[in-house]
Amino acid sequence: MELAGSGKSDGGRIGLKLSQELVVVAISVILFVVFSATLNNFLSRGNIIAILKNVSILGTLAVGMGFIVVGRGIDLTMVAVMVVGVAFSIWISTWGVDFTLAVICGAILAASIGLFTGIMVAVAEIPPIFATLAIASSVYGSGRIVFASDVLYAPPNIAWLKFVGSGTILGIPMSVVIFAAVAALMGFFLRKTRFGRLVYATGDNPNAARTTGLPTRPIIVTQYVISALIAFTAGIIMTGLVTGIDTRLYNSSLIYDVLLVVVLGGIGLSGGQGGVRNIIVGTILVGILTNGMTILNFSYTSQNLIKSVILLCALAIDAIINPRDEQTSQSGDI
Amino acid sequence: MKLLKNCLFAGLTALALLGAAKVTTAQETDQVGRAPYLESLKGKKVIFVPISQGMDLNQSWVVVWQRHAARYGFSLEVRDPNGDTNAGIRAMQGAIAEKPDLIIVQNPDVQTYARLLKQAQSAGIKVLQVNMQSATQTDSYVGNDWIEMGRLEMGELAKHCTGPNAVSHKVVWLAGVQTGAANIYMRTGIDEVLKANPELQLVSDQPADYMSEKARQITETVLQQHPDLCGIMGIWDNAEVGAGAAVAAAGKQDQVTIVTNGAGSATGCESIKNGLLDVIFNFNAPIQAEIAAQQISELLQHPERQAGSEKTIFFGPITRVDKTNAVGRNCWKLDDLK
Repeated sequence: MELAGSGKSDGGRIGLKLSQELVVVAISVILFVVFSATLNNFLSRGNIIAILKNVSILGTLAVGMGFIVVGRGIDLTMVAVMVVGVAFSIWISTWGVDFTLAVICGAILAASIGLFTGIMVAVAEIPPIFATLAIASSVYGSGRIVFASDVLYAPPNIAWLKFVGSGTILGIPMSVVIFAAVAALMGFFLRKTRFGRLVYATGDNPNAARTTGLPTRPIIVTQYVISALIAFTAGIIMTGLVTGIDTRLYNSSLIYDVLLVVVLGGIGLSGGQGGVRNIIVGTILVGILTNGMTILNFSYTSQNLIKSVILLCALAIDAIINPRDEQTSQSGDI
Repeated sequence: MKLLKNCLFAGLTALALLGAAKVTTAQETDQVGRAPYLESLKGKKVIFVPISQGMDLNQSWVVVWQRHAARYGFSLEVRDPNGDTNAGIRAMQGAIAEKPDLIIVQNPDVQTYARLLKQAQSAGIKVLQVNMQSATQTDSYVGNDWIEMGRLEMGELAKHCTGPNAVSHKVVWLAGVQTGAANIYMRTGIDEVLKANPELQLVSDQPADYMSEKARQITETVLQQHPDLCGIMGIWDNAEVGAGAAVAAAGKQDQVTIVTNGAGSATGCESIKNGLLDVIFNFNAPIQAEIAAQQISELLQHPERQAGSEKTIFFGPITRVDKTNAVGRNCWKLDDLK
């Protein structure tokens, strides 16, 4: 059985679904060609690597978000988990705990938050958008009280962290390698494992999935745990890149950029469709766009404005391509 | 009998003199003006509305003011909006409604609180602005001379990037929040230096919004466009470490000079020592806090002066810190201030 994520599902919707992905690819190609022709050094190897490096954190987060959205959820806790998880690791390392051990503790904390979020969504049945919004705020708030400072610096001379930040494999920066590895693992997980297929089934129609005997609750809880761990991984990449973590990122537009990548790439918010390929397509478009806007000296506010308008368009396209039908209305939405 | 009278008289005189001496001593040991000073500060209420207490400069200010408040018996309450402007507006409205004796405010930008500050002054509340000014001038401003800061930072880059051995004349300005007073005024200082050094090329002036990752991304992109970049200037050492990381990743630490400013905390000095930053113009937040503490005392001592009737400005000192002097008082830790 081929599922929606493969782009080969039921005949009637193939064309439209492909169109959305193709539209994004086409926009990316057009932007790429225009920027290559008009901007100095845009087409250089260094700049292409810079684009990939600059979207590695966003892309990694988007893989986690995409995984949740496929199961008809949304995870607004990702940035909070990322900054608080890593800040927690750095904080306990200042007590003299070995940094690697501290990072493992941070990962356990992130997973615990994911577990709690999953239980709130799957068992307490709080709509994911509200549950994750409230939990994100609580997680960040708790972290803010404990750590006092917004910016926490990792201890110096941690070899593996330096490698994450500035190391390369075959000339490709480690941050990009990690993003690619997370994306590949997720792709394999969604397409080739039974669990992945259950995620699609749950996202497509949770009530039908439950009625047919699928363990929807454990599936949802596991999804949030994995998403939290992916967020933590993104935080580690960031710490490697800039030597510390700035918890104020929680207040930035990063979580919306992540959603932008997911929706833009063509993963419908009504769940049950799309895959890692969509996330990569969305990430590349946002990467090219951000790089071009930076070279063109667009202000931060105008960049956010342009990205928001694109997100709105993507949501509108999503609503047209994946219309709410009677079935989706009855089974609820995020 | 006469002898007895004389002895009694002598004794009484001695006692009287002793008493008088005692009174005189008591008057001399009471430091002039101390009692009214203590009286004027005791029980007064001061509310501080910062941008966010997660920043190093805010933490040092509050540590110094709390020490001052505890010694002289006034209360200091911090209403932290944690970087959220809407929460800041609510905090300001709440503070005005409570009618404290003084509001201390760090403005997120020049406009947001402008009207609220006028309201506070009309309500008879004195207002002290710290480090970030509003379009409304109030009783006092204690903080940086931001135009001078712009001049100093771009002046530093001009020194490095206009000489005969300069790799190029290309410089970058990594702004913070563009509507913030610091940015607006620094830009004036920057433009003055650029005008005086027309060969300098400002190849990018992107706002990094005080975010290190954003600063890193911008720097990485700009370095691709201008591999011969000479210098970068920014607005907060904690953000510019991102620019430093991008320069280090490109292996251009010897070529690109990174200049920024900061509150003078030890983390900034560490960034200089590990080569992420070259120069920090340090506005020494604990010294700023001491100047502001004196302003608090002055404003509380004169309740008879109407709010807004006098307008005072104090610019704090600025120290140029590089790897030769990134030690001691130029690199404070919060625990040292407590």
